[in-house]
Amino acid sequence: MFNYVLDRLKSSIVVLFVVSIITFFVLMIIPGNPAQLILGADATPEAIQELHVAMGLDRPLYQQYFSWLLDLLKLDMGKSYVYGESVTVLIAKSIPVTFSLSIFAMIMAAFIAFLFGMISAIKKDSIADYFSRSIMQLGAAIPSFWIGMVFIVYFGVKLKLFPVSGFIPFEVNFFRFIKSITLPSLVLAIGEIGTLLRIIRSSMLDSLKQDYMDMARVKGLSSFKIYIKYALRGALTAPLTIIGMQFAKLAGGTVVVETIFALPGLGRLVLTAVEHRDIVLLQGLVMFITSTVIIITLIVDISVMFFNPRVKSFQQGDL
Amino acid sequence: MRKNISLILGIILVLIIIAVWVLSFVYLPYPPNEMNIPNKFLKPGIDSEHILGTDNFGRDILSRIIYGSRNVLLVAISSVTLGALLGIFLGALAAMERFADTIIMRIMDGLMAFPGILLAMMLVTVMERGIKGSIAAISIFMVPVFSRLVYSMILETEALLYIKAAKSYGSSRKQIFIRHYIPAMLPRLITQFTSAIGSAVMIETSLSFLGLGVQPPYASWGLMLSESRQFFLGYPYLAVGPGIAIIITVLGFNLIGDGLNDIIINRGNSDE
Repeated sequence: MFNYVLDRLKSSIVVLFVVSIITFFVLMIIPGNPAQLILGADATPEAIQELHVAMGLDRPLYQQYFSWLLDLLKLDMGKSYVYGESVTVLIAKSIPVTFSLSIFAMIMAAFIAFLFGMISAIKKDSIADYFSRSIMQLGAAIPSFWIGMVFIVYFGVKLKLFPVSGFIPFEVNFFRFIKSITLPSLVLAIGEIGTLLRIIRSSMLDSLKQDYMDMARVKGLSSFKIYIKYALRGALTAPLTIIGMQFAKLAGGTVVVETIFALPGLGRLVLTAVEHRDIVLLQGLVMFITSTVIIITLIVDISVMFFNPRVKSFQQGDL
Repeated sequence: MRKNISLILGIILVLIIIAVWVLSFVYLPYPPNEMNIPNKFLKPGIDSEHILGTDNFGRDILSRIIYGSRNVLLVAISSVTLGALLGIFLGALAAMERFADTIIMRIMDGLMAFPGILLAMMLVTVMERGIKGSIAAISIFMVPVFSRLVYSMILETEALLYIKAAKSYGSSRKQIFIRHYIPAMLPRLITQFTSAIGSAVMIETSLSFLGLGVQPPYASWGLMLSESRQFFLGYPYLAVGPGIAIIITVLGFNLIGDGLNDIIINRGNSDE
């Protein structure tokens, strides 16, 4: 088991390293001189050259890469030229927004997906099953920006139930905080329900076929107990892994939803960085987001193994 | 055999989209980019001259939706084709040549680690915005998906008897790949290809919505939605058409992918 943790750790570090190489070199081949971008069009060539050297851009690329990587390990990601602030500070300020959205969205998605996924599996091929499978397909096909716009008009403007934009930190007012992230989280959740529902349904179907289910029925347990205590417990591993992966994905990829609802999260920063070609900011963001995803995935994998002895013994080669 | 509803429904939806695409070459009610300010914000209606109404520049929405199908399908199909070809090549190379294995597959792991459209956005930053940039970005996004699939499928089939037999006959790697691996992999590759088009459409429309894809004044469904944002409160019909067009396209390709997948799984079971 220790070996498994070590293996996963090793491969995660390798992936992080590869990601850092891709991020650095892809964004370095960008046309245009970063010094020129920072100083603007009417800067003198001397000033540009001076900044060019000061930023270390005259060094060979591999040297630039290693010094960037070293700074990154010290959590120094440089300064954004659009905001004129340290990238680390900018990211730290945006984390609460994006993370509250992702957590809230995953809670909603998991609740809906478990409810419909279980019903779908228990009543296989019934109307309920077809209904939830249609939700699953539709949820995956509706673009989040479209449903976001519809929600803003109906729930925000017509019914005035929720604010249509902006973020209220929870330390300011908890109730308004919840209100400000409900709509965007729901939009995010709709996008994730499909995949999760599919996994829950198939793991449940699998679990319902197991011998211990017959045993539970023979013992005369109530159907509620059978489904929750036996079937669901046997069917948790795959959905939990997926929830972890989806959370990780959301934590880094809420650009579209943050744009529609004008939320000052990581996604907004990414869009600003892309629009203004703020390479330093974009490099920092991409590295931070991707590392977060890799680390969350690692934690999920390891904890699933701790909670599920079957995976553990499989990894050890006992099965 | 149980009726494969997903597949049938998917084919119907995709045929609708293909019909719209063909229509864009044959007949457009109005020139899609022609502005006609006095006619702006005409309400939609069956008996109206503009069935789906007009936008803030007085452009006919129906024509723009029909015309927009060209850009969406062009970007989606060409980027998935490019990504698939490169992915298949790299996956096969990694699986069949020991020296390439670690390098290629670690790079693929790295590419897969970028969440959502972050990778596409990063690549668009480097390239020019527009159709070419979107195609390049989405095709690179697709490479690891296909290379991993091919890699694992070759490793699965490698141990099978007929591959061993071909090897002992002295067939070259290229021959084995073309004669044996490709036919064995084809069903799953086609399934993956169809689903990938669904996600490529989603990424293309998202990029266009964010202003990083197809540039104005050209028509693209994502861009149309983005342009309708500021007028959406007063004129909600602006967003209905492009939204439904995106849903039909993505749903169609996803359903075909699922339907084909069901067939493969069922066939696998009956073999047992």
